[in-house]
Amino acid sequence: MTTSAAPAKPAPGGPPAVEAIALRKSFGEIVAVDDVAMSLPPGRIYGLLGPNGSGKTTLIRLLTGLASPSSGTARVLGVAMPSRANLSHIGYMTQSDGIYPELSVWENLTFFAALYGQTNKADLHRTLELVELDKRAGTPAAQLSGGMRRRLSMACALAHHPQVIFLDEPTVGVDPALRIQFWDHFHRLAAAGATLLVSSHVMDEADRCDELLFIRDGRVLAQGTPGDLRSRAGTDNLETAFLSFAGGPAGSAATASETVR
Amino acid sequence: MSGLRVAAVFRRIVLQFRRDPRSLALLFAAPIAIIALLGWVLSSQQTLTARIAIVDEASGPTAQLVTSRLQSVLGGQTGIVLDRSVTDDSSARQALKDNQLDLVIVLPPDFSAENRKIELLTLGLNPTAEASVLPAVQRSLITTVAESAVGAALPTFERATVYGSPDATTLDTLAPVVVGFFVYFFVFILTGISFLRERLGGTLERLLATPVSRAEIVLGYSLGFGFFATLQVTLVLAFVLARLQIPALGPVPAFALGLGVRTAGSPLIAYLLVLILGLGAVSLGIFLSTFARSELQILEFIPIVIVPQGVLGGFFWPIDQLPALLQPVARILPVTYAIDGLRQVMIAGADMTSGQVLMDLGVLVAIAAVFVTLAVTTIRREVA
Repeated sequence: MTTSAAPAKPAPGGPPAVEAIALRKSFGEIVAVDDVAMSLPPGRIYGLLGPNGSGKTTLIRLLTGLASPSSGTARVLGVAMPSRANLSHIGYMTQSDGIYPELSVWENLTFFAALYGQTNKADLHRTLELVELDKRAGTPAAQLSGGMRRRLSMACALAHHPQVIFLDEPTVGVDPALRIQFWDHFHRLAAAGATLLVSSHVMDEADRCDELLFIRDGRVLAQGTPGDLRSRAGTDNLETAFLSFAGGPAGSAATASETVR
Repeated sequence: MSGLRVAAVFRRIVLQFRRDPRSLALLFAAPIAIIALLGWVLSSQQTLTARIAIVDEASGPTAQLVTSRLQSVLGGQTGIVLDRSVTDDSSARQALKDNQLDLVIVLPPDFSAENRKIELLTLGLNPTAEASVLPAVQRSLITTVAESAVGAALPTFERATVYGSPDATTLDTLAPVVVGFFVYFFVFILTGISFLRERLGGTLERLLATPVSRAEIVLGYSLGFGFFATLQVTLVLAFVLARLQIPALGPVPAFALGLGVRTAGSPLIAYLLVLILGLGAVSLGIFLSTFARSELQILEFIPIVIVPQGVLGGFFWPIDQLPALLQPVARILPVTYAIDGLRQVMIAGADMTSGQVLMDLGVLVAIAAVFVTLAVTTIRREVA
């Protein structure tokens, strides 16, 4: 594995990388994101944890400007979203692979990179090496395994060296060995100054994050480092901690008993 | 607007298409196959022999005179076989049902010098085909009646037309229409499905997360599909206009490649018309993909979008002959203007100085602009 060019290190004391102010999104009666407030300093990995349907994807879509909020404000790098110009500093790995099955690995990567203005072939090749698809550059995406498609999808999100990276369930279908490599790379990116917001519904990935946001029913139940959340919930198990913040077992209609921001 | 991003979208569409042999076949082989089939049917339509009987129910002196006159005039015409064995109405109807007759000329019981109404009886299963027998009969009737009145032979007619030649086959006049219609149809279907795949496959979500603008996406798509539409039009026009005689080779008999339709005007203007039509179809495809959830639902737009254009656009009937209520509808359909423009150019030999052609081009540009606007504004919408 080779490290690729690092994003520009953010100036200390600058605006938070990701910020939400009273962010709310409803679809008719259903409130998908309910009054979320967060302020995430740059250079760290944030884990967005919650069960399926808790509003993780909608929250990411609001933060990337793909959806417009019903009320409230989302800012990335200090710029209110949606902002098309700001998107060149943002990477987004969608939950579905979002790649073109007819195109080869290389064609997919160069296409998305070109939209960000990234046409440096040597650098794009390093990105492929990073996800270990350099031997598959000419393979049509349709012929890749599920894990390989996931890796290609990640390469497409990282090719332009974004400062803020949203990864929606990036490790689904990725085998454990590669998952470890993914996380190692996430940490390298963060060390180089990038901010990562990784959504997951798998708690065993949570410990790899610098900070966690528990989300349920569109609300942020708690925010803190894994150790901090454990001690506040009085348990060694993050899953138990999540349930204690949720105020009851998953699936019950219990609302947040405590919201820490 | 960034040229790099538009070029990236364009390049991607061309690449995707090149990898999709089925769509390529649909785009290039299908129109040629259909036009060739149409050309074959239209150019060598069988002239049927019409079997006709005359039934005289009146038997008055006038009726007898008309009957014998008709018999002598009709009997001498090629393509008409006069059946003298059928003489009454009920056996004539039975003979029609048994497919032994095509048409019966009935002189009703009240036929007289004062009431000269003659009935032309056909089966009624296929009115269009049956009607093709009528002109010859009517000519004979006119000749019969007129000659008995004037007592001398009638002058003969010769048809002339301002544009083209009077013996222009249906194919010559249909070809421009077919060219325009196919481009519209195929470009719409292919764009609609491609864009729906973007929505369903999650690639649109990803596209919208990049700095690419909606206008750049639509432009890239238009260039990409415009590129293939150009190739398609080149091929289809070449096939329609050219005629290459292939000599007999072994067991394969001699045949002609291409239809050899005569065009009076510049193929370049025809090209331009079809291209603008195609650009409108790209945006319409993108726009309507918003309202579909599956590829099947794109196909379900055919009866709504394509069929009315085929029925009303001047494909079969001139706009002026449509019911008054439908005429304004026909006048907002892009295919109407493409067909009119193509006819002006290919049959009447109109060029860019023709007000009619300029109007057609202008309306097509305006319709394309409306569709482009609709496409750009709906791209962000979620799948319906």
